[in-house]
Amino acid sequence: MGAPNRGSRGEWLVALPPLAYLVLLFALPSALMVLASFRVAGEFGGLAPLLGADGHPNLTFEGYARLFASPIYLELFLRSLLYAAATTALCLVAGYPLAMLIARSSARWRDLLLLLVILPFWTNFLIRVYAWMIILGPSGWMSRLVNFFAAPLGLGPVTLMFSPFAVILVLVYVHLPFMVLPLYANLEKHDPALIDAAQDLGAGAWARFRHVTWPLSLPGVFAGSALVFIPAFGIFAVPDLVGGTSGNMVGNLIRQQFLEARDWPFGSVLSIVLTVVALALTGLAAVAARPRRAGLDPAARAVAGQGA
Amino acid sequence: MGGRRVPAWMWIASAIAFLFLYLPLVVVVLFSFNDSRLNATWVGFTTSWYGKLFGDERMLAAAWNSLLIAVVASLASTVLGTMAGFALSRGRPRILGFLVFAPIAMPEILMGVALLMFYVLLNMTLGLVSITLSHIAFCVSYVAIVVRARLAGMDESLVEAARDCGASPPLAFRHVTLPLILPGIVAGALMAFTLSIDDFVITFFTAGATASTLPLQIYSMVKVAATPEVNAVSTLMLALTLLLITAAARVAPGILRINQ
Amino acid sequence: MKPAPKPARRAAAGMSIAAMSITGMSILALLLVAACQKQESAQGGAATAGASAQNAPAAGGGTLNLYNWNDYIDDQTVKRFEQQFNAKVVQTFYSDNDEMLAKLAAGATGYDVVVPTGNAVEAMIRRGDLQPLDHAVLSNIGNIRPQFASLPYDPQHQYAVPYAYTVTVIGYNDAALRKASFPPPTGWEAIFDPAIACKLKGRITVLDSPDEIFAAAFYYLGIDPNTTSADDYKKAAATITKAKSCWAAFNSASYSKEMAAGNIWMALGYSNDFFLGNRDAQAAKQDFHIVSVLPQQGATLAVDNMVILKSAPNPKLANAFVNFMMDGRNSADLSNLIGSGAAYKTALDFIKPEVKSNQAVFPPEDRMSSFHVLRLLPPEIRQERSRLWTEIKL
Repeated sequence: MGAPNRGSRGEWLVALPPLAYLVLLFALPSALMVLASFRVAGEFGGLAPLLGADGHPNLTFEGYARLFASPIYLELFLRSLLYAAATTALCLVAGYPLAMLIARSSARWRDLLLLLVILPFWTNFLIRVYAWMIILGPSGWMSRLVNFFAAPLGLGPVTLMFSPFAVILVLVYVHLPFMVLPLYANLEKHDPALIDAAQDLGAGAWARFRHVTWPLSLPGVFAGSALVFIPAFGIFAVPDLVGGTSGNMVGNLIRQQFLEARDWPFGSVLSIVLTVVALALTGLAAVAARPRRAGLDPAARAVAGQGA
Repeated sequence: MGGRRVPAWMWIASAIAFLFLYLPLVVVVLFSFNDSRLNATWVGFTTSWYGKLFGDERMLAAAWNSLLIAVVASLASTVLGTMAGFALSRGRPRILGFLVFAPIAMPEILMGVALLMFYVLLNMTLGLVSITLSHIAFCVSYVAIVVRARLAGMDESLVEAARDCGASPPLAFRHVTLPLILPGIVAGALMAFTLSIDDFVITFFTAGATASTLPLQIYSMVKVAATPEVNAVSTLMLALTLLLITAAARVAPGILRINQ
Repeated sequence: MKPAPKPARRAAAGMSIAAMSITGMSILALLLVAACQKQESAQGGAATAGASAQNAPAAGGGTLNLYNWNDYIDDQTVKRFEQQFNAKVVQTFYSDNDEMLAKLAAGATGYDVVVPTGNAVEAMIRRGDLQPLDHAVLSNIGNIRPQFASLPYDPQHQYAVPYAYTVTVIGYNDAALRKASFPPPTGWEAIFDPAIACKLKGRITVLDSPDEIFAAAFYYLGIDPNTTSADDYKKAAATITKAKSCWAAFNSASYSKEMAAGNIWMALGYSNDFFLGNRDAQAAKQDFHIVSVLPQQGATLAVDNMVILKSAPNPKLANAFVNFMMDGRNSADLSNLIGSGAAYKTALDFIKPEVKSNQAVFPPEDRMSSFHVLRLLPPEIRQERSRLWTEIKL
């Protein structure tokens, strides 16, 4: 690395306030719960005292052992992974054209379109899901339409509500803006000259997308995917409301531990494993989505710093 | 970049996406005028639910609290998140990356319980402040990730060119860097606001005996009294927020105008 | 060539100083608001986390912090209390016993009166969360109906008195069942026997509560609902899993609405929810009634109680409130509002006929013996049940 150590004190100044905030109001409280994963559950909820009657800390690996002993937890994790991945993929497909449209609009329209994308999400979450329950319900027009086409084909009465279909649909609905907004933020800065140049060189629309737009948008794709996949992986409310009798995800199980099962240590164990898995997958994706045009590449910097 | 030609398939795909986004909203707004306690089938038109809403002090106070908390939390988390986004794009300190992604991964109920225990340990008052501080904690991540995405691969030479032309550092920042990353900041701020105004689980645990927010009100109502009054208050919040944003855009035109 | 580092650092510094001052000012503003709140609340009588009980004025004045289920008290009743005692009532809500218990277990304070269900009361007593009721103030205690005078979790009313009750029953849409040629249910087999239940496949919901589902399954299997045998729980879990394929969903929040809308035709739920659902259905001019039936094998009695927390800021006012709610007229307000059962003798004089005559809300004396209050589970059984419940919902 030939570039001099530049602005590191400035960098630390910029990083300090958010770092301090997150350490104080995220890391410290989370540390409490990481510790809790090794503690013993209180007899009637909560946690048993940290120091036992003999003065020794009351710690155990029992929660972790239990997690790896039974296959049902693995099944739950895998299903959640599948649902989250499907949601992310669908959000990407649905959100990319929309983000492109907004990015290409004139300044006046852009503001309006951005607002229109986020506007529905300023109503209460529960009310929106209940609206979907009306739309997808057996007496709703959507259900009747589907069954109208399904009946002659001999397919039994198709229920849209209380099914995996409903879960994925509502998951996509709830997360769509969190894909569109980061994608838009990235697409907006794409230099149109690059695309024009590619066109001038004879590239068709698909080739332009594949070789210019898509690679440049990878950081936005990564950001949007992270902001959809990670929360969707651990969500509980959607499968709870529209999932029916089987469709539980890990989030439901975790919630169950803190509430009905009164087993906070096991809930903490599940949460930690969930977080680790989500972060690991995100890390892998980050490697795959490295920006191709690296403006911060050390070699490029060296050239820029020393060049004329 | 603006006003580029948009191909037909993009129009169609976007229209479908918008339809998808607005279908439930239409139902929500429509049913707020439904002359029936039931939120299920259309019976007739009435504005009585809005009348009932304006007499419901608790609901209005909760709505006001939600708005206040969301404004403060999104402002603070936008500032902190932008700084974090900068730091992330520089790659240092390493630990910041973990601290930014982890809050999104942590299940809300864990965070809620953890924050409550933490506040109790600190002997802190539970109320609007505790709720706002908790909201900022998870909103910062969203802003940071978007700003970082915006900064990724950004051309440093533009900033250097400005400085080469004699611009002082604050000037270069204000006229070159800030406009370049503004779409990312705006996107992040919008997400932070949305997350805060709709949060239930963390708010449930960190609200005290006296403070209530709109999600808390509505969630506890759904079992017994999910009358169209909740649709009315949702529609009202929507209108209020829209007014707020347009007013802010009037007062500070630079906020939404991305193309200087 | 001008070296780049310095300006970059200064720009970063300038930005971070600006940002820090904005953030600092916002936090300062927040703290100012908090300080003002604290001043206000110190005068008003509301508590802070960890504060000791305040000096409440004698039998009146001050603020009562009520932590209750939503829509579980009539606004008129609250106003009457506020006027009579020259006090202010601040209400916050929960929709699940376990949510409330988890919040208290994490250390939240500031509540005077809470309204837990029977087995949650047991947990709170054993955890030491509650302070004894002041029987000197509770002049209305003789007003309790005999069936509720000696509840197993607190026979002497040391910590809790009844607030309201509901019975877990089967509710159904009479017109829809007729159209489907499904005979009106009389017992739990309509829910748990796949041969019967699957005739209404996808149109049945059950409560999303292990307490209630397992208890109903036990009644169906002829087992004591308060059993503590792991084998019994395994048997019940098998029954539930077999029947599950006939059900649409586990739903505690919106099933009465779904029934009133005609989407769901039969449900395992609370009698007051079915009462409300029927009222809504009639108001929406539906062509059916929602009827509740007391299952012949027995049903659970969910009794909600008033308790006073040990950390209550205003215990004098809290006791006054408890006594106030034991008065017949005040107790009746709730029954008329949501169709819950009243546990007080003189309440019956004030309850509307259509509520009083509903057998699921006010079961006849001879049926009351087949109802049971659910008890707190020992931790090992609770863990076992939780594991089974995870498998059921998988």
